Amino acid sequence: MRLFKYASVVLLFFFAGTVIAQDSEDKTERKPGHYNNNRFKQLYEEFSTPNMYRSPNGAPGPNYYQQQADYKINIELDDKNARIYGEETITYTNNSPDNLEYLWVQLDQNVRAKDSKSPLIEPDGAFPAELASDFVGKYMGAGFDGGFKIDWVKDSNGNPLPHTVNRTMMRVEMPKSLKTGEKYSFSVKWWYNIPDHTIDRARSGYEVFEDGNKGYVIAQFYPRMCVYSDVEGWQNSQFWGRDEFALPFGTFDVSITVPSDHVLDATGMLQNRKEVFSKTMMDRYERAKKSYNTPVVIVTQEEAEAASKGFATTKKTWKFHADMVRDFGFATSRRFIWDMMAVKIGNRDIMAVSVYPPEGNPLWGEWSTKVVASTLKSYSRMTFDYPYHKAISVHAKNQGMEYPMICWNYGRPDKDGSYSERTKYGMFGVIIHEVGHNFFPMIVNSDERQWTWMDEGINTFVQYVAEQDFGQSYPEAIAPNKTYPSQRGPAKNIVDYMAGDQDRLAPIMTKGLNTYNFGANAYSKPATALNILRETIMGRDLFDYSFRTYAQRWMFKHPTPEDFFRTMEDASAIDLDWYWREWFYTTDYVDIGVEGVKKYYVTSKMNKEVKELIAARGMKESDLPPLVYLVEEGSEDFDEDMKSGTLNDVVTLQEYIMDNIDPLDRATLKNPKYFYEVTFEKPGGIPMPIIAEYTYSDGSKERITYPAQIWRKNDQSVGKVVASEKEIVKIVVDPDEETADIDTSNNTWPKEEKAGEFETFKNKIKGE
Amino acid sequence: MKFFYLSIFLLAWPVFTAATAHKFYVSTTKIEYVEEKQSLQVISKIFIDDMEDVLQKRYDPKLSLDTQKERPLDEEYLKKYVLQKLKIKVDGKEIPLHYLGREYENDVVKIFMEASSIQPFKTMEVGNSLLFDLTTQQQNIVHAKYGDERQSLVLDADNPNGLLNFNETSK
Repeated sequence: MRLFKYASVVLLFFFAGTVIAQDSEDKTERKPGHYNNNRFKQLYEEFSTPNMYRSPNGAPGPNYYQQQADYKINIELDDKNARIYGEETITYTNNSPDNLEYLWVQLDQNVRAKDSKSPLIEPDGAFPAELASDFVGKYMGAGFDGGFKIDWVKDSNGNPLPHTVNRTMMRVEMPKSLKTGEKYSFSVKWWYNIPDHTIDRARSGYEVFEDGNKGYVIAQFYPRMCVYSDVEGWQNSQFWGRDEFALPFGTFDVSITVPSDHVLDATGMLQNRKEVFSKTMMDRYERAKKSYNTPVVIVTQEEAEAASKGFATTKKTWKFHADMVRDFGFATSRRFIWDMMAVKIGNRDIMAVSVYPPEGNPLWGEWSTKVVASTLKSYSRMTFDYPYHKAISVHAKNQGMEYPMICWNYGRPDKDGSYSERTKYGMFGVIIHEVGHNFFPMIVNSDERQWTWMDEGINTFVQYVAEQDFGQSYPEAIAPNKTYPSQRGPAKNIVDYMAGDQDRLAPIMTKGLNTYNFGANAYSKPATALNILRETIMGRDLFDYSFRTYAQRWMFKHPTPEDFFRTMEDASAIDLDWYWREWFYTTDYVDIGVEGVKKYYVTSKMNKEVKELIAARGMKESDLPPLVYLVEEGSEDFDEDMKSGTLNDVVTLQEYIMDNIDPLDRATLKNPKYFYEVTFEKPGGIPMPIIAEYTYSDGSKERITYPAQIWRKNDQSVGKVVASEKEIVKIVVDPDEETADIDTSNNTWPKEEKAGEFETFKNKIKGE
Repeated sequence: MKFFYLSIFLLAWPVFTAATAHKFYVSTTKIEYVEEKQSLQVISKIFIDDMEDVLQKRYDPKLSLDTQKERPLDEEYLKKYVLQKLKIKVDGKEIPLHYLGREYENDVVKIFMEASSIQPFKTMEVGNSLLFDLTTQQQNIVHAKYGDERQSLVLDADNPNGLLNFNETSK
């Protein structure tokens, strides 16, 4: 009976607030019901149901399949006219359970064809003045004659195959449908004009050096198979120029014929090194394979400059073989320097390679190959041991573009060889990023055409880790900085974007082509979201294990966003649905602060609130169990004496302790003197952990992190009571700026006026 | 008091790594009226590369920003150019902007300007044709703040001027 009464009294206080609220609501109209709109609701509606192809734990399912495309390609480069002539045989294996009536082939060069629709989807206006060259191209029909010129498509018996070109896609119509497990071979002959990539920022092409020689960085040079998968069927969404590629894995045998004075490197193992290397080059190459710290130059600057003076009319053919790659790229010029060194990954030696014109020096000779080696180490640690035998960084003006084992990178010194910090960090950053793309998406082969963030965002996240590693391995490269000044990754660097005009934001889960701020949406925001997930939400151990699990599960396969989301949860036992929802499926932002702080003292004297409550229910004080009363500073019941009081003065409390707690245990009880009710507010949508730093009057600090789930029942504000022996003088939310809080003016109690950017600058120049 | 936020790096990405799509040409200028100081405070953020390009073309091919080769003269050119291209009128009257200095932050140069003795006003007209002489793709975003009221403009070569009305209740 007594117990029951106590319980009901406690309940009484608990529900007092609710009762009052209900009284006033009776007068207003009843709110309609609603669906579950809790921010912590599971993503059942957003995610597709797991199936035999893709398992609920985020791994490939028991019936997972992927198609294979094997290529035999012969290419000839016409250096004088900047053209490529090619012939290829594609052998396509249908591992899907479906019958395929036709095959889809990508003709990426057609994005630059005269009838390309890419310029037509970019809205524009009339400008008061146009560059003459732009004007002629735009309004007078002149311009570059790009696009594949297909000579023929034939079956393996040499008979013409019906085919239909729809802009950047070609449908090859087979005589009968291709059943599960069957292979089909067909051949294509084509040629195209290579674009000058410095003009329209193509992802491949040539640049003309001042001496008239060309440096070629060549990709998308052959008709390539589309991906057929359990998710998309044929991924034949058109190439508009910005969104990248989806490609199946396969084996490549590629022969490339170039002028005999060119050097060349490419995806894959060089098959005829002795035919194309001089004796000197062979000797240097053998030395490079044993040099782990210093790059060995295979072709020197002097040799490249001497070759630049000629123009060979004879030819040489370079032959490459590559297994388990999704694409092929190569770089060639007579004006290329070439260096390489070995790097140990696991128990294998990988070659880190750089190819660059003299225009790149001294920066490139000094750093490129070392950056490549450092990147392979960092990414291998975060994912899996780099499985290919080499990684090449090629210097091409203004380029930053990735292919398996090879990538093009910018970072050019001025003509006198000097360079700014901007150029240097630009070069480091882009090499790390592009070499990193070997892992995402060249090996963890996501669909770039649809989900730009899956390769760019995830890669930019690992880039951040690799940049920090590089700074530690080569302090002389980043001096006088102590740590590498990464631009993308740190939480506070995304704040300006997240706080932007909502009409111009798109969720990360948006097709790359349709985002407003491509760089922020597909690179910076997902990279930052993953960095926050690692540092603040999951912790490095749980994150890194789960992230490696994802990379290893989907190595040489085609993952979807859900496979990533599910794996990160499955391997860590952390429910992240809310995090994926808020950061990836919405444009919401983080803003958490301190709304107010109330200070309480403890007394055994009944306070006004309780008096009113028992009066309303016709109870007497003697009906109540022993209670400890909290009185707010400044309230009616408060008097100054309470400030000097201690818990010993509270009779009810002392009686309870004497009656219930063992004398030995009494000494271990805490003896708090100050009681605070801190109310945290959340003007931002994203629920994040509240990281609260309490500073006490003696200067000591304590940090308490309340998990994000504290917001599960109240999305606007929550209270926490803090009992302490020392007085609290300051509270700061997110003191290390690790949550991307867009408005820090409410993060401090008592409120602090921070000098704005303008005043800070003005004070600084006054001081000078 | 929070100042308003700029989407500078993120709105505008000078070179897309791995996605060499077209470069975005965007600058951001924030203008705040601080009534108690009768001061109009202006910060323009512009990509250093673009600024260097346009100043080299207009004035001097040797010009250099944020490198060891930068000369005192180069800041003079920067000042001259920015004050020519950024014009602010309040209540229909052009106000003289005073150049305070510039600061470099990663890829961006921040230019600080101020107009003093500015009485409370109702309208502000901003003309910002920075870099329109370099490329017709340039967009100049203006964020203005007066008391608690914030307004934005996106200016381009077609539309280099914009008018903002600040209503009475905000003052």
